[in-house]
Amino acid sequence: MKSVKVVVVGAGVVGFSTAVCVAETLPSCSVTLLADKFTPDTTSDGAAGIVFTAKFPDIPLEQQRRWFKESFEHFLAIAQSQHSSEAGVLMSSGWQVFKEVPADTKPFWSDVVLGFRPMTARELKRFPDHKFGQAFTTVKCECSSYLPWLEKRFRKAGGQVERRKVNNLQELSQSYDIIVNCSGLGSKTLAGDTQVYPVRGQVLKVQAPWLHHFIRDGDGKTYIYPGIHSVTIGGTRQEGDWRLEVDEGDTRSIVDRCSRLEPSLSKATLLGEWVGLRPSKKNPRVQRELVLLQGRRVPVVHNYGHGAWGVSLSWGTALDALGLVRQCVDEMTPRARL
Amino acid sequence: MRVAVIGAGVIGLSTAQSIYDQYHSIVSPLTIEVYADCFTPLTTSDGAAGFWQPYLYDEGKIQETKWNKETFDYLLSCLSSPDSVKMGVFLQSGYNLFSEPTPDPSFKDIVLGFRHLTKKELQIFPGYSYGWFNTALMLEGKSYLPWLMDWLQKRGVKFYQRKIESFKELAETGADVIINCTGMRSGELQPDPELKPGRGQIVKVDAPWLKHWILTHDLTKGVYNSPYIIPGSRLVTVGGVFQLGNWSTQNNSTDHKNIWDSACELEPSLKHARIVDDWTGLRPVRSKVRLERETIPAGATTIEVIHNYGHGGFGLTIHRGCAQEAARLFGQIVKQKGRGPRARL
Repeated sequence: MKSVKVVVVGAGVVGFSTAVCVAETLPSCSVTLLADKFTPDTTSDGAAGIVFTAKFPDIPLEQQRRWFKESFEHFLAIAQSQHSSEAGVLMSSGWQVFKEVPADTKPFWSDVVLGFRPMTARELKRFPDHKFGQAFTTVKCECSSYLPWLEKRFRKAGGQVERRKVNNLQELSQSYDIIVNCSGLGSKTLAGDTQVYPVRGQVLKVQAPWLHHFIRDGDGKTYIYPGIHSVTIGGTRQEGDWRLEVDEGDTRSIVDRCSRLEPSLSKATLLGEWVGLRPSKKNPRVQRELVLLQGRRVPVVHNYGHGAWGVSLSWGTALDALGLVRQCVDEMTPRARL
Repeated sequence: MRVAVIGAGVIGLSTAQSIYDQYHSIVSPLTIEVYADCFTPLTTSDGAAGFWQPYLYDEGKIQETKWNKETFDYLLSCLSSPDSVKMGVFLQSGYNLFSEPTPDPSFKDIVLGFRHLTKKELQIFPGYSYGWFNTALMLEGKSYLPWLMDWLQKRGVKFYQRKIESFKELAETGADVIINCTGMRSGELQPDPELKPGRGQIVKVDAPWLKHWILTHDLTKGVYNSPYIIPGSRLVTVGGVFQLGNWSTQNNSTDHKNIWDSACELEPSLKHARIVDDWTGLRPVRSKVRLERETIPAGATTIEVIHNYGHGGFGLTIHRGCAQEAARLFGQIVKQKGRGPRARL
């Protein structure tokens, strides 16, 4: 009997992943997902979706590993299944190259991805500006396909979807028992979180079907990610920059830097440009709290602030958020759960 | 000097290129002509997936390994040239899969980043318990051959669509040297019991989410008789069969079914791939590549022939090394005939 009314705010990769986890796992919950933007207009849609991650300063390493491992294995299983193309999840091999040898040559996620190893001297020869590199196989998740696929799963599990802009949590407190906040940058207003800030990223989508490897500069600013129908090249990392318009200077800089890594890009045809604002925070917030809303103490589970690692950590953080929702459900009085 | 190349597949065209490259400034005039009854996109080279990988072991044929390496290194250097996309050359990584531990291949130090598969990787391929990962090159015949023809045409090489019936025929028109790059049908110019067809059939599909090649091996069934999936720049080539002695160039529906069923088992996502085409080709199989000179008596004179055929399923893989070697043999003929630089003094 679905007696606990859960609302998930946000229809990006974190919102839908969390909504699916709750809807599929907690039989006592009826789940509604609300958002003002849906695919293809979410931040997730423009992201290339290559899965690996960075280290956050304040989250226990064990938890970060779990977030990444669970996400990676989730995507790997899809990539290996017959659903790969429909879900937009594929295996991708390539290289991460560094101009200077990094302090940490073996990041904590290196044993989660496949076949991680340092690049050989011959492999590095192709990158004359770079002294060190890592080769590995990971997965790529294209949200323009993955989000619709998640929505299908969500609806199949009984989930309801509604297009609606949520201006504050008060609006939801009367209709729902548990609020799950996956509103990304929107948490600035929705959760009153002053520590959330955008990191602007611009990318180009080009036609270069002969490229079958990802190439990324370890500084995170220059990358080439071949996808199913196009190659995403980028990028920029402009902290505090809210501009959603394409910047011509950035375009030139991206083409320049990426062509240095992969000269054949000069033969690629431009398909389009896109700008997204990475919903960044010092550490992602996956946490629950009780919020006083219109006289009621409403449990709120937060799952936002993934920055550049939304896709990469989506499933792992969704599972953590699911655990927090479950705790909220368990703590509710028996009468409420009938 | 007049050089007549017979055959316009990857072997014929690349040999013409190497001879031009090495001798056009040494032998003057140097006329090169290419004769063939079929040209791109109808040659065996066009239908092949275009994947660089020799057979696993060279069985002592170290010359072939040397030519394979020369080809790989040459193509690797072409990657950074502005022509790379037109040439159809690009890098692709992938998997060689086995059901038991297998000794490392002859090409392990030629390719990039060769390593054994980890336990986690093997879990992706149920039914296979051992394997390798490496980065290799793709060279798509449908791009490479037109690029070669363009390269040759710009340098004055002439092409003639004509089936040559005998070496004598060409010698009589005044060719000084004949380069025999006739692949599967070399036997029609000169019987060769060692040359046999290794029939292959493939299915070409649209599956752009696949970015790795996967080759399985059943060491009891022999090379290419086990499923393989090789993504190209546009379509994915799915195979494989290797039927020694089968001359049929018709697509066979039983072969199609076997290839397709076993490939879908290997890569479940293929069930959603759109099938575009089927193709059958005959690999020109021989115990070893025939790359040698032959001086054939013809009445009062002799005909100088350089044979360059019998590359089986590794023509694209070995082409450059063989072309350079054939050019070297041509150089020997030039010296013998006194047509070299010294002759011009």
